[in-house]
Amino acid sequence: MRKYWKFISILVVIMLSIGTFYVKSVTSEVNHPEFVIKTQSGDAKEIEPLKLMGYYSDTSSMNYTSTNLKISSEGSTYERRTFLDQVIGEPPAVIKEYQENYRSFMRGKGLNVDSFFENDQVLAYADVDYKTDSFYSRDFKFPISILNKEDGSVQSFTVDIPDSEKMDYVYMEDVQMIEDELYLVTNNMVRNPEGSFDEKHVYTIDLANQTIRNDEPFSQVPEGQEGNRIVTDVMRTSPTKASDHIIFLQKEIKVIEDMESYREEVVKQEVISYNLATKEKESISVSDLPFTIELSFFDGSSIYFIGLEGQEIVVTPYHLTDGKASEEYRLQLSGEDEDGLGSAPMTTIKDGKLYLSGQQLNPKLNINVADIIVANVKTGDILFKGQITLNDPETKNQYELYLHEMLVE
Amino acid sequence: MKNYLKLVNFEFNRIAKLFTVLLGITFVAQMIGVIVQSRNYLNMANEKIYKEMLPQAQFLENFGQMSFLQITRSIWFFGPIALCIAGVAFYIFFIWYRDWIGKNTFIYRLLMLPTSRLNIFYAKITTILIMTFGFVAIQLIIIPIEMLVMKAMVPNEFRLDMGVMEVLTIMPELTLIYPRSIMQFFFNYGLGLLAVSVLFTGILFERSFKWKGILAGLLYSAIAVVVLILPLLLHEFVLNSYFYPIELFVLEIVMGLIVFAASIWVSGFLLKKKVTV
Repeated sequence: MRKYWKFISILVVIMLSIGTFYVKSVTSEVNHPEFVIKTQSGDAKEIEPLKLMGYYSDTSSMNYTSTNLKISSEGSTYERRTFLDQVIGEPPAVIKEYQENYRSFMRGKGLNVDSFFENDQVLAYADVDYKTDSFYSRDFKFPISILNKEDGSVQSFTVDIPDSEKMDYVYMEDVQMIEDELYLVTNNMVRNPEGSFDEKHVYTIDLANQTIRNDEPFSQVPEGQEGNRIVTDVMRTSPTKASDHIIFLQKEIKVIEDMESYREEVVKQEVISYNLATKEKESISVSDLPFTIELSFFDGSSIYFIGLEGQEIVVTPYHLTDGKASEEYRLQLSGEDEDGLGSAPMTTIKDGKLYLSGQQLNPKLNINVADIIVANVKTGDILFKGQITLNDPETKNQYELYLHEMLVE
Repeated sequence: MKNYLKLVNFEFNRIAKLFTVLLGITFVAQMIGVIVQSRNYLNMANEKIYKEMLPQAQFLENFGQMSFLQITRSIWFFGPIALCIAGVAFYIFFIWYRDWIGKNTFIYRLLMLPTSRLNIFYAKITTILIMTFGFVAIQLIIIPIEMLVMKAMVPNEFRLDMGVMEVLTIMPELTLIYPRSIMQFFFNYGLGLLAVSVLFTGILFERSFKWKGILAGLLYSAIAVVVLILPLLLHEFVLNSYFYPIELFVLEIVMGLIVFAASIWVSGFLLKKKVTV
């Protein structure tokens, strides 16, 4: 036995040291503070479906690392992803559900929620495929698959994108389906002699003939017009909800260039509602509404123009059916942000309720924009008002909390 | 089994000197690192506070407290780790070739032992594994000692105390050596073990067929790599991302086991039939 002492002792050291390390790593939890949504008024039940995703970093040391966390009505949970979780990845919740329900159909499909359309009969998927050589991307195609939920049959085909030799990039922004037609809303980056420009297109795909029936361009690159360009954004909708209109915001931007400065000015702004089936465009007059496209929302029948004015959120509902706007309402934010460093709140609309959440808490920089508001989206009646705070405010004052995603389930 | 253990013990005793020397270098260099980094910080603090009359609070605001991360980010800490890695890499080859060099070729005696020749292969790969884990384990023991030294040198208010776990999770380079989860630990070191087994097979090809063997060894390694990443290649270029990530992961583990088994089988064959003294 004495012959073996070196060998045995190194084995013992290895077992004890690495063993202790992993036992400790399982049992010890890094000590992060608990965040809660504190109710100020209203019914705390309203925030039960709300989930906020973000990250927390301890700024008292200079190590600049952050931990992901989720905040809900039940408090905060810090994410600790296991090795297997990392291998599997974390697809968006909607995609995860599709993968569970239609495992074989979802093989080889991307993770972009905007590429999918679902109703009672079908699950449709359309994406953009292309080849790249050393300089340019080419051969842009739409791979399309449609799953018939009743009999489980799948229709798959690809369609060439017209004029694709001039394109640098194509991104799928929305997929809709009405009867036998699929509508693909894309953002195409197109080259021309002056540079690259974004164009929005709505392609109508005829499912029976597997061809593109119509290609409706928005904000095409103006030709020969100096300086001005048109930028178009698609208004947010619920990613899974079907709608027969697409709402575009078109801005004409004048570029003012002189010797030492370059700035952009919005000369004209227009909201266009595009009826997918009839291909009719209708302009909605919003000349003096305060709103930003990032906050505004389209729920399928009404557009909610949302803007930020000082510490107030201004909401103007506009009903597509009768083409009228109803009375605007305002929601007061209580956050303090002396230097205006914090970011705008996040908004979303679900089941007739407007959810709003601030994004940032940083006591050292005096940023406290962490309001949580749930309101009736039509009338603006506040159903819940609260704020994200530390459960025990005494524990820490050097940290940053930044929220980047809001989910309503 | 007994023969195998005897051989492992024998091989381990042969590297014990090199192992101890490398550990010694690591300990000394890292200790110097702790002292140098702490003194640098304290000197800077003295300079700012007493010469430039910066208030202490202001100093801490601007420069932060001293944490153990400043030490781990220095060359004093990482240099010896790199040296140990290089040592293991070198020894993967030397563990075979040392038996052929020298007056009385030792491999002759090894091959004549009344035991399966594959045991030589197993013993050598186990020794590499023990050497690696030995470094990993003892570094884990050294770190708390270094933390104590830093604690003794830097006064409380200038110091941000961190646990071993915290330090090891924050540094991305260290998480490779000390993955947070035990699964990942097995995965990382399993992959390393696989690489060593392929290298060993390559070495045995060279020992069996000399110059031609180098070519055969390189070819074998190339095939091993291709087989290992075959599911990934198929998934990406042929099957249009057909597999879900978890399926791909399981396939990769199966492929790894196949390559490992193949390496053992080929090595056994070479040792029994082809190896020349």
